[in-house]
Amino acid sequence: MLDLPLGDLSNALFNAAFITYLVAMVLAFARLAFTRVGVGGAPLTTRGAGLWAGRGATALAIVGAAVHLGSIVTRGLAAGHVPWSNMYEYSSFLAFGTVVVGLVVVQRRLGYGHLMGFVLALAILSMTSALLLFTEPTPLVPSLQSWWINVHTSAAMGASTIFIIGFMATALYLVKRTAERRVGISGTGAAPTKPAGADTAPAEPGAGEPTLREDGEGFDDFVTDSDDPHDAATDPLAQRDALSPVTFPGLPFLLVSLYAFWVWGSPVVALLAGSVAALLGISVWYAVPKLPPSDKLDQLAYRMTAFAFPIWTFAVIAGALWAQEAWGRYWGWDPKETGSFFTWVLYAGYLHARSTRGWRGTRAAWLGVAAFIALAVTYYAVNLFVVGLHSYAGV
Amino acid sequence: MTTAPPRPPRTDARAERLPEIPGPGETVVLLWRRLRRMSTALYLLLALAAVSIVATFVPQEPVIPTTVADWRAGTEGPGAEVAAGLDALGLFDIYGSWWFATLVVLLFVSLTGCLIPRVRGFVRQARRAPAPGQNLGRLTHHRTVDSPLPPDQAVAAAATTLRRRRLRTRVRPAEGSPTGNAQVAAERGHAREGGSIAFHLSFYLLAAGAMVGVWFGFESQVNVVEGESFADTPVGYDSYEPGRFFGQGDHDGFTVELDEFAAEYHPGQDTGDGPQSSLIASEFASRISVHEGDEVAAQGTVAVNEPFHHGATSIYQIRFGFAPELTVRTEGGTELHADTTNLIESDDLVWTGVAAVERTDVDNQIALDLALLPDATVEGGRLTSASNEPDDPLLAVSVWYGSLGLERNRPAAEFDREAGTRLDESLLLEPGETGSLDALPLEVTFEGLPYWSGFQVAQEPGHGLLLAGAGLLLVGLVPSLFAYRRRVWVDAAPAAHGGSHVTLAGVARQRAETFAEAWPDLADALTTAVDGRDEPADQTTDDARPGSHDPTGETR
Repeated sequence: MLDLPLGDLSNALFNAAFITYLVAMVLAFARLAFTRVGVGGAPLTTRGAGLWAGRGATALAIVGAAVHLGSIVTRGLAAGHVPWSNMYEYSSFLAFGTVVVGLVVVQRRLGYGHLMGFVLALAILSMTSALLLFTEPTPLVPSLQSWWINVHTSAAMGASTIFIIGFMATALYLVKRTAERRVGISGTGAAPTKPAGADTAPAEPGAGEPTLREDGEGFDDFVTDSDDPHDAATDPLAQRDALSPVTFPGLPFLLVSLYAFWVWGSPVVALLAGSVAALLGISVWYAVPKLPPSDKLDQLAYRMTAFAFPIWTFAVIAGALWAQEAWGRYWGWDPKETGSFFTWVLYAGYLHARSTRGWRGTRAAWLGVAAFIALAVTYYAVNLFVVGLHSYAGV
Repeated sequence: MTTAPPRPPRTDARAERLPEIPGPGETVVLLWRRLRRMSTALYLLLALAAVSIVATFVPQEPVIPTTVADWRAGTEGPGAEVAAGLDALGLFDIYGSWWFATLVVLLFVSLTGCLIPRVRGFVRQARRAPAPGQNLGRLTHHRTVDSPLPPDQAVAAAATTLRRRRLRTRVRPAEGSPTGNAQVAAERGHAREGGSIAFHLSFYLLAAGAMVGVWFGFESQVNVVEGESFADTPVGYDSYEPGRFFGQGDHDGFTVELDEFAAEYHPGQDTGDGPQSSLIASEFASRISVHEGDEVAAQGTVAVNEPFHHGATSIYQIRFGFAPELTVRTEGGTELHADTTNLIESDDLVWTGVAAVERTDVDNQIALDLALLPDATVEGGRLTSASNEPDDPLLAVSVWYGSLGLERNRPAAEFDREAGTRLDESLLLEPGETGSLDALPLEVTFEGLPYWSGFQVAQEPGHGLLLAGAGLLLVGLVPSLFAYRRRVWVDAAPAAHGGSHVTLAGVARQRAETFAEAWPDLADALTTAVDGRDEPADQTTDDARPGSHDPTGETR
């Protein structure tokens, strides 16, 4: 069943996709750099070099995704089963999905093409983790030989992909919102004029205007202030000055290099990983004035999360059904089950928090960040550091 | 879960009074009110998440008892002292602890408290006809059109269009309408609240299903050697956990015989596959027959991912191993022992176990310490096993004697190695081979190498409830996130020449921007309808003012 030349081809395509994404990311950030912010709420404009950089980034991202798809397909052919049976394959697929969702939703549907640099950075991070966890294609162990692997694992993967984009939007929202607050732009989420919770009395019919007041429920979109808060932004560049150019690269550098040193014990690796994190941090800082207004980012984060949440729910349910068949119990508090459960609870908390008074805005967003960290812990830490029934899927 | 209805505003007079200590009744009311708050539900959810994060990284005794034992001994994990602390806090069995149960109960109380008013409100609202609108010109999306039809007909035509677009409508004649004009009010999107309620109700089903399973079912494990059988009775299993309300009489009471066990291995598969290398078999399956009385009631195959169901009982293939069959005789030919011993993989590719040969005389017991290499080869002068496939099995037998404590009610493998003596010489046997010892007058024959097969046997009622709960959860979740409330009104005032002056208006409660995109299309369709002709009318005054504030707090 194991076809090693095909496996080699898959690896070569993976490397090609990796390099293509890297170049695409550099171009996407170049586009961001050439994007001008209009004063007083005028739209962003990209001209000349930036326009070409943007086109190049898009073309390369598409080419990279196509090559990546080739890598995934050949990997599946080489192994003789679905290409998501271990962490290398899963991480690779996550990166692919992230790029595709980024291209389709972030760039094409919402027109935030200048954010593609961040999307590609996340995809490249996922691919790097795939490289670190590389294994040759292997046949499936008996417990994985089930039709359920198509359902359960692909649902978990699909949901994770969308959660990644959601996380990107949440993180950018938190930065943007902080900057806006510091330059004195009033919040839309933090202090809504009309709470959407059930605290308005149910309307009586025929009472004129109040007939439109409904008792709402959880998960509402924001009810925003009517007067455009962004008129208040006289100079968007002031938002950048409101954030510290030291903290943004400094903190990621410190955290990531310490973590890398703890894991690999090599100062060179730690320095390298820290520098990458610092670069990402400073690019977020640089991009602040060019980011969409915080309420748009929050909306993007919410949409992505709300879309992925039912898929994740389905993945957990399918996992329980599979566990019943394979292990004779649907739920056994195995570390992976527990992990997927607390991830689910935290995302549910995020969705609820967005319609709870006193939680909307940054507080809910932090919960979204926590949920994403939980997702990453469930995926990486539980597989790598904890012994459980999912351990075979380990490295 | 959502915010509870508002508490009555506190009067100033009350605030001036000295604080009173609430009585028991008041305390209950206060607690209940607090539990009904959305933020309380959120904190409870966060606590649940925090607890399960701890349970992910601290091994749980019911899940992996061996790891917990290693943590306690300090051979693994953060050390024995920390483990003792964890033990004191009950963190090795979080899901069985009283405070976890309390947390879950509190969550359900909070859920119930949130749901009762919501279900009431939803039922009231779903029954009520769409409410009429006033001051429609002040809504974000509105348009005025002149229609040649009289008001009643214009409104009726608009209502048909709205119903075709799957909105619930209510037509009111001029007398019943607050504007004094004939009006149709339409709305859609009740599925949002309904779905959300269904989603939250599903947790009751899930909890009920889980409880039924735990209380009225049983779970057990048993290892059987090929050709042997086990009975579906409490003593028939190696480990047995009945539910609180599961009685002996609830067993199906059959006997299961393992006719044959078969395992296939990956050719040339390398073995460095971590802790579960016994599973490097590519496939393994047990052929079983179920006996009821003297009859064979059913026959079938059990494999991983292919459970076998008989009556209310299910049989799952969990693991397998080797069970060498040994005969031990004295030199005189008296048979001391003729049995199989279940071996487990104690090291990669080395299978070990202990056969208790003689245990009646407490001071003079004999046990055989067995180590099996399924695929023995000599590598660098050392005997090892090349794989787990039993191509070339080799059994190493070492003999222990003395007071081994075999009479204790313990697995033979835990015999007392301190008190016993190990013979210096050991035997290496291939299947069919007999070896004799010099120091003891004993002969050991390695008769054959059958497999043992490890099953989980369980009765699991409540699966229907769980499936229904999971289904309801998904069915409710999707509309609760993706159904949007929309309301539309068409109001027709009488105009000259028997025609009417029509106002179209609409608001969106969620995803306002998609409604804004869809509004021109809807308004065009309504314009055509009230015009009484096929082509759209052109004397419209489109008046959507982006960004204008509407009287409802709805924006854009």
